[in-house]
Amino acid sequence: MSIIETHQLTKVFPGDVRAVDGIDFEVKAGEIFGFLGPNGAGKTTTIKVLNTLIKPTSGTATVAGYDVVKNPAEVRKCIGYVAQDVGVDEYSTGRENLTLYGHFYRLDGRTIRERVKELFELVDLTGFEDKMVSTYSGGMRKRLDLAMGLIHYPKVIFLDEPTVGLDPQTRSHIWDYIRNLVKAMGITIFLTTHYMEEADSLAGRIAIIDLGKIVATGTPDELKQAIGGDVVTLSPRVTGEGERQESMKRIQSALSGKPFVLGMQATDGELAVYVNRGESAVPGIMRLLSGEGIDIETISMSRPTLDDVFLKYTGRTIRAQEGTRTTYAQIQRKRMRKQQ
Amino acid sequence: MMNLLSDVWFQVIRGLRTQFRMKIFILMNIVQPVIWLLLFPQIFKSLSSMPEIGGSYLNYLAPGIVVMTVLFGSAWAGMGMLHLIDMGILSKILATPVTRVSIIISNVVASMVVLVMQAIIIFIIAVIRGLDIATGVPGVLLSLVIVMLLGLGFAAFSNGLALLFKRAEPLMGVINFVAMPTMFLSSIMMPPELLPGWLDTVRQFNPVDYAVVGVRGLVLEGYVWSDLWLSLVILAAWAAAGITFGTLMFRARAE
Repeated sequence: MSIIETHQLTKVFPGDVRAVDGIDFEVKAGEIFGFLGPNGAGKTTTIKVLNTLIKPTSGTATVAGYDVVKNPAEVRKCIGYVAQDVGVDEYSTGRENLTLYGHFYRLDGRTIRERVKELFELVDLTGFEDKMVSTYSGGMRKRLDLAMGLIHYPKVIFLDEPTVGLDPQTRSHIWDYIRNLVKAMGITIFLTTHYMEEADSLAGRIAIIDLGKIVATGTPDELKQAIGGDVVTLSPRVTGEGERQESMKRIQSALSGKPFVLGMQATDGELAVYVNRGESAVPGIMRLLSGEGIDIETISMSRPTLDDVFLKYTGRTIRAQEGTRTTYAQIQRKRMRKQQ
Repeated sequence: MMNLLSDVWFQVIRGLRTQFRMKIFILMNIVQPVIWLLLFPQIFKSLSSMPEIGGSYLNYLAPGIVVMTVLFGSAWAGMGMLHLIDMGILSKILATPVTRVSIIISNVVASMVVLVMQAIIIFIIAVIRGLDIATGVPGVLLSLVIVMLLGLGFAAFSNGLALLFKRAEPLMGVINFVAMPTMFLSSIMMPPELLPGWLDTVRQFNPVDYAVVGVRGLVLEGYVWSDLWLSLVILAAWAAAGITFGTLMFRARAE
């Protein structure tokens, strides 16, 4: 059974910015569905449409069987939303934050009290219920934020970049809490991220979104298998930019059409060569290239990662365009506010 | 309807709780009008001898300070909405089944509660300092209705502008641009008889002036119903205009 379904979903912002451009996807009940793409790919816009915060320009989307445009009130009852910005009130306690949201979902006082206790346990914040949120650390706030999205036992929870701006250790903790949710509550999770490891470690299925379009969908393993067995990454030894481009071209023409090469993808100064068996391909490539008189600076072999998947489908690495600008600006803004 | 009331109630409680936890905020909000009330009569001491003032400038000024406090307090109400937008709280709330308009209503109502409390404190201090309120406690209650209508309008406009601009700087610019002149282009400080002719004309387009005239009448003279009705009707229209603007902006923001 699919709990989220979109059909040709499109959102055009003023100035003809096609943030989401005719996407189709399905999320099955009980799975963690990862929406992977660089900043500005259209992930947050998609989440906002599914959350009834903005209306799509065209196309349809249903959540838990309800159309997001025709029946937004029903959709809101079924969903939890954990936004990229930690939308917790700093000047209230954790309990007060959670209780307010309980009231928004029309829960009675007793149910709220029970769930506050339970959810604080789930996100490991027991003992901090009555402390002001302003005394919480970043990771604690995010966990409280998670709990706030769960107070009404939603069918689906939307996590928009749940670990952005958190340190690696806190990040892996949040991942644990998210996995716990699925186990403890059997909830469906729709997760957006621009972290490959995050999508890889959490999501059962992934859609890769770039420039408003879904370019690939599948389980992490399926997506990696589509690439081939191994990835050999190499860079030529060169003295200048012109020579680099020249060498890259020569390498590509030398390798193209060779039976052991499944595909190639060039990025800034590096060439990813997709092969079936890396162990035998590396010496082959070395021989071939030295025969052509091309000097190799570095060569390495790895199992394909989602990074490679992303590269293959978009022609770019996600890091190259990981516009940390926005996120950095947001963090800056928060810091400044705190100092004031 | 029940949902709307309960949503407003819980959000007002949250808003007030937050404000009252800021000790310095409470202190400033009480101390500031008191300082105006005690300081201005000193500055304008020479005015006391004017026949238009009627002996005590403090008595003349007290209603004006009440109106001024409400004016400034409500004009800044949009900053609360801006905080919700800025911290991403508004988006989060909108993704819940909460009644949409309850968000802006509760913000305005929370501001009103604080302002009414301030107004009462100013009245009490003025009475201690020798003000004799002509209409007594019922007059004070009616005065509170008058200033609430004024405040509702300003608070709703301010919220609407916050939703329109979504940024602090333009909002602060507009508030400063509007609040100060509307105060001086009224009879808060000066009796209308002492104002130059053009100013006397301008003040008739200023909702603040209708509040001052209404409250001052109740405090110094008694029930002058012709003035009172005019004040109430104009201020009700002002409040309605503000609420309409605020709700429209809110709808536009929440789509």
